[in-house]
Amino acid sequence: MISYLIGFAGFLVTGMLQLSVFSQIKILSGSADILLLYLIVWCLYDRSKQLWLLVFLMAGLVSSVSALPAVILMVVYFFVFGVTRLFQKRLMQSPLLGVIVITFIASLLQIVLNIAYLFISGVEFNLNTALFEVALPSLILNMFLAIPMHAIIREIAHYAFPKGLEA
Amino acid sequence: MIKKIFSPKNLRNLIISLVVVGVLFLALSGYLTPLFSFSASPFISAQSWMAQRFLAFSDFFNSPRDMATLRSENQQLESQVAMLQSEIVALQENLAQSEILYTLLDFARTNPEHSYIAATVIGREISPFLQYIIIDKGSNDGLRYGMPVVTQQGLVGRIDALIANAARIQLISDAKSVVNVKLQTAEVEGLVRGSVTGEISLDMVPVETDVQIGDILMTSGLGGTYPPNIFVGQVLTMQSKQNVLFQTGSVQPVVDFSNLSAVLVITNFNSVDISPLVP
Repeated sequence: MISYLIGFAGFLVTGMLQLSVFSQIKILSGSADILLLYLIVWCLYDRSKQLWLLVFLMAGLVSSVSALPAVILMVVYFFVFGVTRLFQKRLMQSPLLGVIVITFIASLLQIVLNIAYLFISGVEFNLNTALFEVALPSLILNMFLAIPMHAIIREIAHYAFPKGLEA
Repeated sequence: MIKKIFSPKNLRNLIISLVVVGVLFLALSGYLTPLFSFSASPFISAQSWMAQRFLAFSDFFNSPRDMATLRSENQQLESQVAMLQSEIVALQENLAQSEILYTLLDFARTNPEHSYIAATVIGREISPFLQYIIIDKGSNDGLRYGMPVVTQQGLVGRIDALIANAARIQLISDAKSVVNVKLQTAEVEGLVRGSVTGEISLDMVPVETDVQIGDILMTSGLGGTYPPNIFVGQVLTMQSKQNVLFQTGSVQPVVDFSNLSAVLVITNFNSVDISPLVP
């Protein structure tokens, strides 16, 4: 229970940082999504069975703030949840590698779903511009921030899972 | 009488007086300076040696106490400086915020046809593909869906979603945003569209229209989404291809969307949803 509270409180703080700071730090038109990074690292370290509930709450919270449809966030967040469960069994010997790989895959999925959403909404846009000025810089920023985020959240996870943390 | 004047006693006094006067004269005219220097130097050296030893002796006993006092005073002063610096930063922030609010107030006074609610920008959209901001006023403050949002410079966007104490604004630079505009000089209408990168462009301008770089774009009021005559931007470039009906161009928005800190919501304008009428 304490781990859920710590996890959700950390997510709230990360959300405030995302909305006020990291959404404004841009490379070209791309920006980092530290909420996604937080979710990835937390899911890697949290082995509890009811983690899906926390993931659901996090996705619901973000969809209430973001203009993106809730279904996209649910898909991305539960994809992260599923992939981290797989990585916990296979690649937990090197969690940093797991964070980097999952960040890459999840960011790609998020970008694809974002573009698909714009396409379905009937928005006219240049795919090349979207890829090279928004998607690629966002991906690079996410990959770049994955390492410090892992270091920070791993420390928080030490308090939440004093016995369960390994690697 | 003469014998009495030149008595040995008086003669001795006279000689002594003459010698004293002579020595004084020599001393005042500077002739005795080397002699004084030579004779005084051993005394001065001895005096300075004594003074230095005394100072060293005095420092040995007094310095630790003085250092401790100085250190504590220094710490107090440093903490005072830090406190004053933080006060200065806070005051500068307040000043900047006040200047923005004064400018917005000035804008509201010069445009009395609308009623406004000032709001502070507290967040930005998470997705880099979308251009939205979040403000600290919501339905409890009288805001409603679709209300236009402006700054003292011009049009910002419209309310897209809101809760009791916050609202999400769709910027005119968002890819899904379309604003009906008119060219102030040519009296021709067109559309301003946003994009995924946050740039805005002019579209649907008849090809025969002479559009100059720097022409000012204002809302036309068509479509019922925005009130008329709000500044949107200036034409940067225009492109017209052959065999097309409309020309397009890029627009420099008057509002710097990356530095928005406070906005005004126009509360007496009800946007009209004409989508059911669109065939």
